[in-house]
Amino acid sequence: MSVAISARALTKNFDDFVAVKGISFDIQEGECFGFLGPNGAGKTTTVRMVHCVSPTTSGTLTVFGENAHIDNRVIKKITGVVPQEIALDVDLTVYENLMVFSHFFDIPRSEAKQRIAELLAFTELEAKKDSRIDDLSTGMKRRLLIARALLNRPRLIIADEPTTGLDPQARHLIWQRLRRLKTQGATLILTTQYMEEAEQLCDRIVIMHDGRILKEGVPAALVREEIGAEVVEIRIGREEDARLIGLLSGASQGHERAGDTLYCYCRDGHECMKRLMELNLPSVLHRPATLEDVFLKLTGRGLIE
Amino acid sequence: MNLSYRIYYVFLRNMVSFKRFILPTFVISMGQPLFYLLTFGIGMGAYMGYLGGQPYLHFLVPGVLVSSVMMSSTFECLYDTFVKMVHEQLYDSLIATPVSADDAIAGDIAWGAFRGLISGTLMMIVAACMGVAPVSPVAVALLLVFMAYLGVVFGSLAMIVTSYAPNFDFFSYYTELFITPMLFFSGLFFPLDKFPQWLKLLAQCLPLTHAVTVSRAIFRGIPSPGLMASLGYLLAVGVVAFYLGIRLMKRRLIN
Repeated sequence: MSVAISARALTKNFDDFVAVKGISFDIQEGECFGFLGPNGAGKTTTVRMVHCVSPTTSGTLTVFGENAHIDNRVIKKITGVVPQEIALDVDLTVYENLMVFSHFFDIPRSEAKQRIAELLAFTELEAKKDSRIDDLSTGMKRRLLIARALLNRPRLIIADEPTTGLDPQARHLIWQRLRRLKTQGATLILTTQYMEEAEQLCDRIVIMHDGRILKEGVPAALVREEIGAEVVEIRIGREEDARLIGLLSGASQGHERAGDTLYCYCRDGHECMKRLMELNLPSVLHRPATLEDVFLKLTGRGLIE
Repeated sequence: MNLSYRIYYVFLRNMVSFKRFILPTFVISMGQPLFYLLTFGIGMGAYMGYLGGQPYLHFLVPGVLVSSVMMSSTFECLYDTFVKMVHEQLYDSLIATPVSADDAIAGDIAWGAFRGLISGTLMMIVAACMGVAPVSPVAVALLLVFMAYLGVVFGSLAMIVTSYAPNFDFFSYYTELFITPMLFFSGLFFPLDKFPQWLKLLAQCLPLTHAVTVSRAIFRGIPSPGLMASLGYLLAVGVVAFYLGIRLMKRRLIN
């Protein structure tokens, strides 16, 4: 595998505000790479630089060997973007949306017709071909955004929070489509706040916070390293922390207090539970560790606004 | 500037969208100039008699043509562009394709100019039905070219305003304090020679004044004094406004 996208000390300032603070990463060709982070972490700003709609302030950024400067048409031609906002052309029908966009990529009309038919099938929108955008559900709009992003048969697909506001059925359908694209060889960049989404789709992720990369790795490995196998959540007052932590020492590899809950990260959850049983606590939850635990541990469990 | 043939694709997108609104937009863009023709031309014209050696309606028509171009292209590049930029986020999707921001903005200015040309042409047809037509087919052709160019001038000026607009209300400053007064200071409705010197000077600063001068000269086939100066002025305003309109709008779109 060769490197598709490479960033070194990439920085982005908006006037006085530093949105991206000198981050470095490499994305391999054919992999699905996730940018995770809370609102304002710098995910969208980073991917906007990758697809050449936002100028970099300093550092280097290359996409398939091309310098990603603003308006680099070589990169734009081979990139498909699924935007975060539902930015569809509401004055046009589903079909017209796709046809107008294929013009922008210089796709000849006959070729465009064929690709549109394929993509409408791929995104299960054939029946809505002549519908106006306002008549589509949110899930359909998101699928249309995906179809639109694929018109130019992109080598690089950037999906910026592609499932925001969707119900589980619609979300799973989008995941299936994105997975299929990956098996077809495309390089995928995904930004998301949904940890399950990252676990479902991403080969590797970075967790961003406040313009920096806090952690990089394979989702399952990150969970193992940062949290362990299991988490025990104990809803109990802060004053009990010392006693409980003492009780679990050896079985628990870390703990964290957030609000009304003490989170204990365990290699062996059953051992933890066995020790807690003796206390007969009213509210204890034992569950497998997830990427969300890693995320919250690294970016903090407090509200970010 | 990063302009390419893709301007045409942006223009085409507007055409696809337009075909659905074609009738209402015709009615709207015809409305105001048609009122001027009927009220000032026929109603007031009956009292005015002859002006500059011709019936008042004949005096009025060339100016009404260019004012309708001004109105249409201005409104297109204010309101429609603003909706596309802010409410529909269309520009964001556009510039993620090989279409550059410059292409997208220039495409919208070109579209505004086209809308202006449609309005002007419709007014020309209406005026012809009222018995006031350009002097020759050559004059018709020249007027069409001139109106298209004026559309670029006023579309670009509007684009500059849009680049600063935080919301719709902002446009009222421009339309109420610049566009509408310009109608009355441009010599469209009456000759400017009775104005005091300072008002004459002010009038000479307004692009519509020069547009009316040029339109009258072409319409009647009689070159007027100062025709070349007016053309030169419009050319200069057009080039500067087009450049600034794209530059300022791009600054707003790309950050």
